[in-house]
Parts: sequence; structure tokens; C-alpha cells
Amino acid sequence: MEEQTSKYLCPYCSTKFEAFEDLKNHALTAHAGEPAPMPEGMIRLTINGDEYQIQVQPEWTLNYLIHDKLGLTSPKMFCDRGACGSCTVIMNERPILSCMTLAIECDGSTIETAEGIADAGHPLVEAYVKHHAMQCGYCTPGFITTAKALLDRNPDPKEEEIREALGGNLCRCGTYPQHPKAIMEAAEKLGHKEGAK
Amino acid sequence: MSVQTEYDRMIEMEDNVGFDKYPLKDFDQIGKKDIRRLDGTEKASGRAEYTMDVQLPGMLYLKFLTSPYPHAEIKHMDTSRAEALPGVRGILRYDDPELPDVADLGGHGPTAIAPIPKVAHFEGEPTGAAVVADTEHIADEALRLIQVKWEQRPFLLNVEEALKPDAPLAHPEDFPDGNLEVEHVEGHGDVEKGFKEADRVLEFKATRRLHTYVSPERPCGVVRWNGDYPEFWLKHQRPHENKRAISSWFEHIPMNRIEMHMLYQGATFGGWTQFYWNQGPMYCAAVMAKRTGHPVKYVFDRRGDFYGGSMDEGDYYFKVGFNNDGRILAVEAKGHFANPQWEGFGPGTHFEDNTQIPNLNAPRMVIKVNKGPNTAVRCEHLPNTMAFTLVMDRVAAELGMDPIDVAIKNDGAKGHDMEWLTERKEEADFTPRDSLKECLEKGKAAVGWEDKWHPPGAGKLPNGKMHGIGFTWNHEWDDSCGSGEIAMRLERNDGTVSILGMRCDNGVNAETGYCQIAANELGMRMEDLFYRPHTDTGFFPMCPDSSTNTGVNGWAVRHCARLLKAKILEAATSPRAVTQRGMYPPLFPDMKPEDLDIKDSVIFVKADPSQKLSLADLVGPSAEAGPLSFHELYGAERHPFSVPIFAHSYQAQIGCYAGFRPKFCRQVHFMEVEIDPETGEIEVTHVVNVNDVGKVISPESCAGQQYGGTYMGVGRALFEEVVHDPATGVMLNGNLLDYKIATIEDCQTIDTHLVETQQGYGPYGATGIGEDIATVIPALLGPAVYNAIGEWIYEFPITPERVLKALGKI
Repeated sequence: MEEQTSKYLCPYCSTKFEAFEDLKNHALTAHAGEPAPMPEGMIRLTINGDEYQIQVQPEWTLNYLIHDKLGLTSPKMFCDRGACGSCTVIMNERPILSCMTLAIECDGSTIETAEGIADAGHPLVEAYVKHHAMQCGYCTPGFITTAKALLDRNPDPKEEEIREALGGNLCRCGTYPQHPKAIMEAAEKLGHKEGAK
Repeated sequence: MSVQTEYDRMIEMEDNVGFDKYPLKDFDQIGKKDIRRLDGTEKASGRAEYTMDVQLPGMLYLKFLTSPYPHAEIKHMDTSRAEALPGVRGILRYDDPELPDVADLGGHGPTAIAPIPKVAHFEGEPTGAAVVADTEHIADEALRLIQVKWEQRPFLLNVEEALKPDAPLAHPEDFPDGNLEVEHVEGHGDVEKGFKEADRVLEFKATRRLHTYVSPERPCGVVRWNGDYPEFWLKHQRPHENKRAISSWFEHIPMNRIEMHMLYQGATFGGWTQFYWNQGPMYCAAVMAKRTGHPVKYVFDRRGDFYGGSMDEGDYYFKVGFNNDGRILAVEAKGHFANPQWEGFGPGTHFEDNTQIPNLNAPRMVIKVNKGPNTAVRCEHLPNTMAFTLVMDRVAAELGMDPIDVAIKNDGAKGHDMEWLTERKEEADFTPRDSLKECLEKGKAAVGWEDKWHPPGAGKLPNGKMHGIGFTWNHEWDDSCGSGEIAMRLERNDGTVSILGMRCDNGVNAETGYCQIAANELGMRMEDLFYRPHTDTGFFPMCPDSSTNTGVNGWAVRHCARLLKAKILEAATSPRAVTQRGMYPPLFPDMKPEDLDIKDSVIFVKADPSQKLSLADLVGPSAEAGPLSFHELYGAERHPFSVPIFAHSYQAQIGCYAGFRPKFCRQVHFMEVEIDPETGEIEVTHVVNVNDVGKVISPESCAGQQYGGTYMGVGRALFEEVVHDPATGVMLNGNLLDYKIATIEDCQTIDTHLVETQQGYGPYGATGIGEDIATVIPALLGPAVYNAIGEWIYEFPITPERVLKALGKI
């Protein structure tokens, strides 16, 4: 049997109506006071504390959205396929690979990038500068986000735990030995700060 | 000290023959720890901009068609379906009537090459067409719609096959007579005589498989036309060469109308700048940007970045004659190398540089195969370090001697002993020191050599693994050939100094180093110096930030700072201006420049330091209708005034490329490994680097090259290998999942130590360090593995499979 398609669909709840007036009455009564419904492909994100409402294409990666569309340059494309950690951002408190994540699936997420971590005055950034935990600097923001996520869940990590946490971040210049030093120093500073409270 | 005297000095020091005749008395900023790196916050916050980040309004993306075959010619190409795809803004074909047969497209200097070839000589070569589209995605889609009729040709993947008499030609267009492009010869003495005289002779063959540089930022560029004038964003190591090549395009573009931007670079490690096709994409982007009226960006994909390798790929054949006391009498080292793009070095040069071995014969064959081009990948000395380490350590092993004793016995240069080398040091005005012995003293203690070195295979650990320890040594090098230009300006208003030079940052913290040298020379506070990240100031430092950073640019900065200081002191003691109303007296009247000095950015009278003036007060304010005019109008001088103060300097030198120049600084390295005899897995547990850098400019930056180079070297030694399918010639692992580079977990402790004998050819007796460690470390795994398992493995990388084979387990 051929399926009948309804003429009008409620954008809030997808209820079907044959007449526009019926839909209108339904919307005004059943959904009174609700915010306007989101069109398809529209997502909401909080990035570094700023709220965004953005129309995205289904094939856009989160990296493409953040880097190319929003102009935050810190999530870097290095390996091109989830093998290097340079595009790492923190999403809902977890470090994720932005090149392997579809933007459209991130609706409602809270995201932190290296820019946001720096602007918040996180001691990691200063510790990275001091310890030269960078050379060409291309992979550095990915390390900063990975390290911040580590410190968020483990405020006093041991060197072994840091090495494990950073195991997925590639640095071709080989700055590796400096990262545990910088991260432990940042952890100490954070501890002091919290202790002062 | 006059300005003319300073210029005379530059000329005098053109090849540093006389070393530094004007040494600095006090090192203040030079060598100081904890100096904040200028690029730190930018890079850590992710705000440092790289060419891959560049986006311009209306920008289009260019992508190349690449050959699916290792050797093939395009017989027919239909681009009509691709052209019809919405979002495609143009396709540049190899047979485009506007495309010249050849254009200057880089290499070592501009080289005439077809911008888009019709014949591919390796799988993945950009060939046939370039598509320009609104997005990368559309460009990819369009490439799939191009129909090509290829005529496949026979291909070659390895050097031994290529040398066979009936081998097909790998590159018949340029090398129609055979696959052997050229054979270089190097050496001295008579090896046959040496072999006869020697107590013992040994022969062996080693192989280094293809590896590559894996630059984090992929090869890329952007071009935009502003009316008739092009503007380029480049990711290259040699912007001066690029600009020279670009100026030859489009029937000559005047140099002064080309604008170039060199942003931060996600590392290059040599490589791309020297490839004959490195500027092809930029050329095509320039054509298409002109044609479409839009900026055009090209970015190679990760796989595309793998089609350029290191020029140590190949087979090495050794024959060594030596005496029972460890003295080596003759070395024959033959290298058969795949696809080197230029002469380079090796495998004999380091025997010349470091030893008194009287007889050396080191021919080097350059052989064409159908894989991507190979070039300097941090760095071109790799064939040398491999040959040197394997020969030295193998001789020690044959004799059951401590390899350190073999090193000391053979240390020298060009077949001469240490006495001869000491004479050369004196000749160059150095105070002679035995660099190798000083390095060894530190290194042996750091690694615990006396306790840890054991007979091969005797280091069984409680965990069932085999402990091994290896040692190698070498000289410290920089390819200090070339010229560098630097300018400095004393800023108005606050008297700070801007160093002007085109950025070419690869991460070695060079810009901070230049500021340290300038601050030290000028007597200024570090915070008053800044390296202007100007895009194209017109002042090109030589290969900035790579081979010749300290060796050439360090000199140029030093000269320039001394000139600037001379000008400052002249300005302080000269009339500030002469107008119709009279003369404005000097700020330090009745003084000569030599009566003054500068410390902490303040000029003071040497005889009475209480008489002083800050540089900020010397320079006065900018413009403001001019403080002098104010005085002329109102009869009172509101602000002090001095002449604009600017200096420009350079350094030119031949370095190590013309003939033999003895090197006096040495480096030693130790590596400890643990090998699981069941799985063949190698764990690098401890590395000790000791580098005599002559004079340290930045201790942290030197250490960065040591541990950083160690990680790169360990990865190369353990697993870096680009694999091609022998049946199809297709690269099989052109990505970072299947081609492994070292992670933080692939090397345990690294101890770094520096020695300063001030016997380098750079300023203050410094020499380079950036290329060395990543180049020396890979072969060091050989003796470390031998010490662990008692078997030599001559095939690099030394994978678990090769270990198990050596142990006879597979």
C-alpha cells in the first residue's frame, strides 16, 4: 500500500497535519514558549566558554569546523587520520581527535582548545615555554590539550602516567623529555593555587 | 672602533681562517640559561601561524593528479568530466599551451623542470594535471573524474637490480645511457697497500632501507596576485632561492615586486627545498591564481609527503684493514645509493674528517630507481655516520677491544695524527684542546661505561632480556657554507633594537639565539632585543634555522651588532644636527666613542659611570613634525634628537664544501638497550649525548637538539622504513599508522652534556649541533645490539624480525 505523506510536519515534535492552520494551532498551544526549533545541520557548541550556533555540513569534521571555519588555529592537521594527536581538543572533559570526529555529532558539547587554555591562564602554557617543550611548535597545542585533560582528571600525575597519556601524541622534533617536566611543574602550581583557596 | 673597521673585519673573516681575533671578554647573555624563547607563548597557545593555516577570502585549492604506476607515460588524458563538475574553477594540463616546457622550479638553486610532467618516474608523482576547485573535497572528486590512458614502462626499485647490465632504464628521459648517474670518488693513500700491511682484514655489507622526514606540517603554499604583483606564502627552507626562482617566472617578475611570507614552519629537516618538483605546485598555483583571479593554496596530503626520502638509502660494502693494536690502516667503503638528488657526502668523508687512517677509498654511486627522490633529510651525513660507526665498532669487536680505545687510537684528520691536528688548531688561532678526550671523560662517567660495558651477549638480565651497550663518536659539524644578511634598527621612542631578517623558523630557537648574541655585543638587556618576524625584509639569513644557523647567521648578527654599537656611540659623541641656527651639541660633548660603553641598555662614560644616558633618551621620539623643527619654531628643544641608527651586515663563507677544512670539535654517544630474545623487541633504555659545540649560545636549545635528535634517531634505527610493493612499485605505508616514528615511550632516559672547547668556525668558536645527533644515533643501535646478542645486524632499521633472524630463531 502506498504510504500517504502528510503535508505539514511540526518542526518541534514531527506530528503530522493535513492543514497548515492545524499545524499553526498545534504549535502555538503545544509548544508555546519553547525556543525556535533548530534547522537540520544546526548545532550548538561551547568553545572556550563562548557559545556558538553553527550550520554544519554532514561531512565536516570537528577539526574543519574549529580550524577552518571558526579560525582557531590550534587543532593542527599533521597525520591526517587520527594517528598523531596534533588535532586533539578537549570535548566534555575528554581529549578527542578533532580530525576523526564529525562536527554534526558534537551538538551540545563543551570544547576547549589550546587558545582557551592559554587565555584562562593555565600554568601549563608558561611551563611549556619555560621547559622548551616545543621546537617547531606544530604539534604543541595537541600536547597542551592532552596534558590539560590529564591534569583535570589526575591533578598529580607520575612521570609514567604522563608518558602513557602522551603516548598518542607525535612530535617529530623529539621534544618528548620536556613534557613530563612541564606537566609536573604545572601540576605543582595548580596544587599550590588550590591549596591557597 | 670605526664603522669602516667593522666592515674590514667582515671581509677579513670571510672564511673564518683567522677564527675570532676579536673575542668577547664577558659572556653575559650568550650561554645563559632560562632565557625565555621568543616563540614560546605563540606556539604553546596554538596561535603561531603556519602556512597550512592560511586562509584568504575567495581562496581556491589546488591538487595534483598523481601517477598510479612507478614508471608510466600519459598517452591520452580526458579532463572534460572533471571540468564540468560544479566547484571546479580550472584544470591545468601538462599540454596547456600557456605552460612552458620548463620553468625554474628549485632544487639546489633554480633548475629548469617541466611544471607538470607527462611521464611519471615513481608511483605518486604529480603528473598530468592540476585541478583548482572551491574546496579540497571537490578537487579530489574532480581528480577521480579525469580519465588517463597510461603506457606503463618497466620499473626498478633497488640499486643492485638497477646496476645489472640488462636492467631497464629507470629514467630514460634524463639518463638514457644507464641507471648509474655518476660515481664520485673520495679518498687518499693506497688501500691495497694498507690491506697488505694490516694484521687483519675484514669485509662486510650493510643496507639502509628507505626512510623519510615526516614533516608535521605538510608541503604547502599559497599564492595571490595583487594586480600585477604576486604574493606568496611559502613553507620552504630557502626563501632566497624561492624568490630567485619565482622572479624568473612569467617572463620575469622584478624582485622588488614579489612579496613573500615565511610563517612558522612545521619543520622541514632539509628535504623538500632540494626536490626538483618542490616548486612545481607553487608554479601551477601561481598560474591558476592569475587565471582565476583567486588566491590558490596547495597542500600535499600525508601520503604525498612520503614521496621524498633520505639519501642514505642503499647498500654499503666495506673492506677494512687494521692492526692488532686497533690502528686502522685502510678503509674501502663503497656506497650504492638510490636516487640522491645531489652529490652530498659519504660514505668516506667522516674517515677524512676524524681519523688518521692513512689509506681510504670511498666511491659513491648515484643510481636511478623508480621511487621518489632522496635528499638531505637531517642530514646528508647519514651515509657517513653509518659507515663510520659500523667500521669503528666492528674493528673493536673483531679485536675484543674497548671501542673507546679504538676511537682514541684513530682520532686525527685526513690521514694525519693528533700532532698534525694540533698544528692546524694553532694555525687557525685556536687554543688547542683534545675534544674527543674531554667528551669521553664526561660521557664515560655519565653512562657508567667501566661498569656496564661487557663482552657481547654476556649481559643477561634477571628479566630474561639481553642488555647491550654501544658507543660511537664523530666530529661536530655544520655545513657553514653560504652567506647571510642581517640588519638592525634602533627603534625611536624607547631605544629597543629590532633585528631584521627573513624568518625561516624550524623550531631550533634561532631567533632567541640571535637576540642573545646581539644583546651581548650591544650591552643591552635581553628584553630590549627582538627578531622582527617580518615576512620579506629583503635581508635573507643563510638557510636560516637549518644547516648554517650559528655558523653563518651567528657571525652576521655579531658583525651587525658591533656595527650598530659603533654607530650608537658615534651618534652619542657627534653633533646631533646642524641647522641654519647653529649646531646641536653632542649628548656626550667632548667625548670620543671609545670613551663610552653600553651596559643594560644605558650608555655610560667609562671613566665616570655616573655620567650616563639610556638608549631610549638617546633616540628621542619618532616624527612628531620633528623635535628639531619644534626648536626652530619655538626656540626650545622639547625632545632630544639623534640621527636614525641602522646597521646592515653579512657573512659569507665557503665552509666545508670547498676542499678539506679540519674539524676540531668532537661528539660521543652511548646507547643502552634491552632485547627480548623471544620476541626480538628492542627497548632503548638509556642514551648519553656529549657534544662539543665549541661555545654554547643557548644551553636549552642545544639540549633540545640532543634529546630531540636522539628520539628521531632511535625511531629511524628501530622502525622507520618506507616499503614498496615489489610487484607493483606502489608505496605501501605512506601514512603514520603504518610508518612509525618514535613516540615518547620509545626511548627511556636521555642524558645530555655539552663541552665547550671554542674550536668551532662559528662566532666565539661555536659550531652547529642541529643536524648531528639525529644523524649519528641510528647506526649506534648496531653496536648496542651486537653487545646485547653477540650478532651483528647490518640491515637498518633493526626490526624485531631482523633480530630474530640474527638469533637464528626464524
